[in-house]
Amino acid sequence: MVIRRLSPEVVNQIAAGEVIERPYSIVKELIENSLDAGGRRLRVEILKGGAELVRIGDDGEGFAPEDLLLAFASHATSKLSLLADLDHIASLGFRGEALASIGSVARCSIKSRQPGSGEGHEIRCEGGVVSEVMPCGCPPGTQIEVRELFFNTPARRRFLKSSGAEKAKIQELLYELSLARLDVDFTFLADGVEVLRLGAGQSLAERFAQCFGRDLAKGLLPVAKSFGDLHIAGLIGEPDLARRDGRQELLYVNGRQASERSAVMSIRQAYREFLMGGRFPIYALQIVLPPSEVDVNVHPRKKEVRFLDSRRVAGSLYETVRSGLQTSGAMSAPLGVQITDDMPRARSGFPALPPSLFATPLADSAPPPVLVRELSAPSFGEGARPFATSVNAKASVLPARPNPFRSTGSRFLQVHDLYVLLQVDDGLLIVDQHALHERVIYERLCREHQARKVTVQHLLLPAVVLLSPAEKAWVLDVKESLASAGMLVDDFGEGSVAVHAVPAVFKNAAPQKLLRALLPMDGESDAALRLEEQVVERFHSMSCRSAVMSGDRLNDEEMAALLTEAATLLHPHNCPHGRPTVLTFTSAELERYFRRRC
Amino acid sequence: MKILCDRTQLQEAFAIVSSVVPSKTTKPILQNVLLTANENGITLFATDLEMAVKVQLEAVKVTKEGKVLLPARECAALLRELSDPTVTLDSTDMRCRIESGGGSFVLLGENPADFPEEAKIKPGRGMKMPAGRLLQMIKETAFAAAREETRYAINGVMMDFGGSCLRMVATDGRRLSISYYNLDGGKGEFKALVPVRALATLARAIPDSSKEELTISVGDKQIEFAFGKAHLLSQQLESRFPDYEGVVPKAADTTVEINRSMLESSLRKAAILCSDDLRMVRFEVQESALRLTAESNSRGRADVSMDITKKGAGGSINFNPDYILEALRVCNLDSVRLDMSDDSMPAKFTLGESFTYIVMPISGT
Ligand SMILES: Nc1ncnc2c1ncn2[C@@H]1O[C@H](COP(=O)(O)OP(=O)(O)OP(=O)(O)O)[C@@H](O)[C@H]1O
Ligand SMILES: [Mg+2]
Repeated sequence: MVIRRLSPEVVNQIAAGEVIERPYSIVKELIENSLDAGGRRLRVEILKGGAELVRIGDDGEGFAPEDLLLAFASHATSKLSLLADLDHIASLGFRGEALASIGSVARCSIKSRQPGSGEGHEIRCEGGVVSEVMPCGCPPGTQIEVRELFFNTPARRRFLKSSGAEKAKIQELLYELSLARLDVDFTFLADGVEVLRLGAGQSLAERFAQCFGRDLAKGLLPVAKSFGDLHIAGLIGEPDLARRDGRQELLYVNGRQASERSAVMSIRQAYREFLMGGRFPIYALQIVLPPSEVDVNVHPRKKEVRFLDSRRVAGSLYETVRSGLQTSGAMSAPLGVQITDDMPRARSGFPALPPSLFATPLADSAPPPVLVRELSAPSFGEGARPFATSVNAKASVLPARPNPFRSTGSRFLQVHDLYVLLQVDDGLLIVDQHALHERVIYERLCREHQARKVTVQHLLLPAVVLLSPAEKAWVLDVKESLASAGMLVDDFGEGSVAVHAVPAVFKNAAPQKLLRALLPMDGESDAALRLEEQVVERFHSMSCRSAVMSGDRLNDEEMAALLTEAATLLHPHNCPHGRPTVLTFTSAELERYFRRRC
Repeated sequence: MKILCDRTQLQEAFAIVSSVVPSKTTKPILQNVLLTANENGITLFATDLEMAVKVQLEAVKVTKEGKVLLPARECAALLRELSDPTVTLDSTDMRCRIESGGGSFVLLGENPADFPEEAKIKPGRGMKMPAGRLLQMIKETAFAAAREETRYAINGVMMDFGGSCLRMVATDGRRLSISYYNLDGGKGEFKALVPVRALATLARAIPDSSKEELTISVGDKQIEFAFGKAHLLSQQLESRFPDYEGVVPKAADTTVEINRSMLESSLRKAAILCSDDLRMVRFEVQESALRLTAESNSRGRADVSMDITKKGAGGSINFNPDYILEALRVCNLDSVRLDMSDDSMPAKFTLGESFTYIVMPISGT
């Protein structure tokens, strides 16, 4: 075996593979560039799923002719120059890697004209070989063409997906990216046919519905909440819109679509009691926080970010979604983990930056935006209000789903010892007695749990739990938070901790098991939240066990009692496991069916 | 094999051995009872591989010696239904004909040779005591062992013998029960952690306040109980049992004497108003009264007081009422004693001359 140094060309191609794996990634990088350049009208064209051609045009600030030469150079970016800048990245791109990577694996050209200047310039790059910069005619802005992807690496070309699949994937990408920028007009053409046109100025709900289905629009609830300098806004879908995959879980961080585990988990937790197992909520939520609080440089394709204080973000998301899901808003969340602005934040040890580096107004020193409506990172450009205006405008229009049992008449009938038919002012309800009773008991338990102080059952002998070093460090780190939720733990030397007390609601559960259930995969989620999750889990099974079963005959008083209590429910539509409790036929639907009215 | 025997005796013996028969198993042969007939009478034997029970019956007429495997569930049910005072069992190959009164039933069994053999214990250490006394000790402790069988929970009762004293101890980590028995004699010392299930089976076989002598023999991994015609052999559990002596509080700030039946009935009343998810009753020791209170948002509030005699400071402490009620149920004293200190320190109940019960309180954080 001979070890050889790779030629720079090959090195580039390998590195490019990190960034560019398929046409989809080209489109993503180029759209991000256009948005960074302030483009407000974007036109994306592909041929043969992008393998033949990807062409993107924008009306942004364009390249200065002298900068064009550097466009395809590796690590060349206008967006970042000092290392310290990495701590507060406000643009989508920052590595200076994308064009270089694309240029090394395809035949590319850039034509660009700065808005003020009279003529445009062009540069080409084929397989990493860059041409001279030549003058050319072109409209203001930048047009980039990428042809014959992987022409110089046939092996890779063979692995490209079918053009149909790639087109679908790119279309979905456009949906996702466009939701962060309601102020931008997007057009998408595939093989000469216009597939999508998203007009600037749509509301978030309109755009979401245009992308993902008109029928969704009714079930989207706008939410917006601020937690100091952290703001969350967007749409959350009603639980019954949930999907079998997580494809419409859309999370944005400062205008960038990106995922973060504990954030996603906390949203799912907030939904949990409304969803059946194996279902995922749909939502588009934007988190806006000072760029210095996010690390966007953790994933080669920028798909993930990391938060400096992920507990705070997770807690805030949970809170936002929870309160959004309250139908009436009259009562507070049944299991609200209180997040306060003065929640301790893991800031210690974070170096203070010289003031001169706070170039962007969104940096720490800037006064935090007060209204969610004004949420907009400056990098979005003037007037860009990701999610914001639409949220407030829609808030009053979208009524929360009312409790159908509030308008209950007094006529009901049990059938099959399982369903209760019920006359209401505006139609007919069919209730699943077990599911509804479960919900009634569950909410009763939650209300009581919330109304009282945390109580702990002390243990006679500490339960010793063996942990990995990372797990142990985490547990000791969140000790206070666990104590506030009723679990007392302490260091027990070498690779172990001791549990001294557990929340008293857990009666007989093994303390070791309780603690283990809290251990997170990524070590950063809110421990108290997880402990509360365990409580909720218990309530689920308690309510299921004590609810009337299918097959139980109910007398009139029993039915009346159930339905009366149902009228006070916060979430009457689903049992704690997410199954529906009630099927509604409105009078109008019945009339239509029986042709009493057209 | 052919035998004639008393139906009631056979039925009772069958009920005892079949309580170890596993209801779910991947080895279906274990769902049988092995019946062996020889010149001494017959023995019934069943096992789930963790424990085994053997019962001998003498009042039988063995016409032909032999062995047969009988399906436990069906055979037990059949014996219960029959009404004739005697029953005849007659087996050839793997089928057994049961005749009683006018009825005749054929049970299809399996090959007795495939059934696990009776394990023999190497007797070394052990002791003897009245069976009825052990029954009482089982009742005083087994309830406090952990219910769930997980790798974390100790689903067994510690039998700790030494210095002429047998101590049986059980705990689920929140309360701990100790029962003592002093005797003269006994060979060596031993410690054995015995599964609750084995003790429950044993308890079922011992008649209340039986004076019959019971022999305990302890091997390395097993323990055997023998009395009368019954034998029970069980694996010992291997979990580590905590150092229980360390948790028994040596001193207390407050000591009260309470009438047992008063306490039990008051506590039951108060517990009605606990919420489902949080079972908690407050014990407030006043000058000459104990006040029990419980409260739940959805149910209401209970407030019961009773006379006591008190020594020490007084104060209040919260308990899960179920823990206390379970222990009072097996207590025979007229008056019980409670020693308590802080609301996060163990409290001690003295529930008999040789029965002590430690409970950890519940508190706010
Ligand atoms: N559409 C465009 N209009 C104007 N300038 C552009 C455009 N696209 C790219 N540029 C310029 O080219 C530079 C290099 O772009 P490239 O995408 O390679 O790197 P980047 O966006 O800085 O970082 P990243 O690799 O993270 O995307 C950018 O910094 C920007 O100055
Ligand atoms: Mg870029």
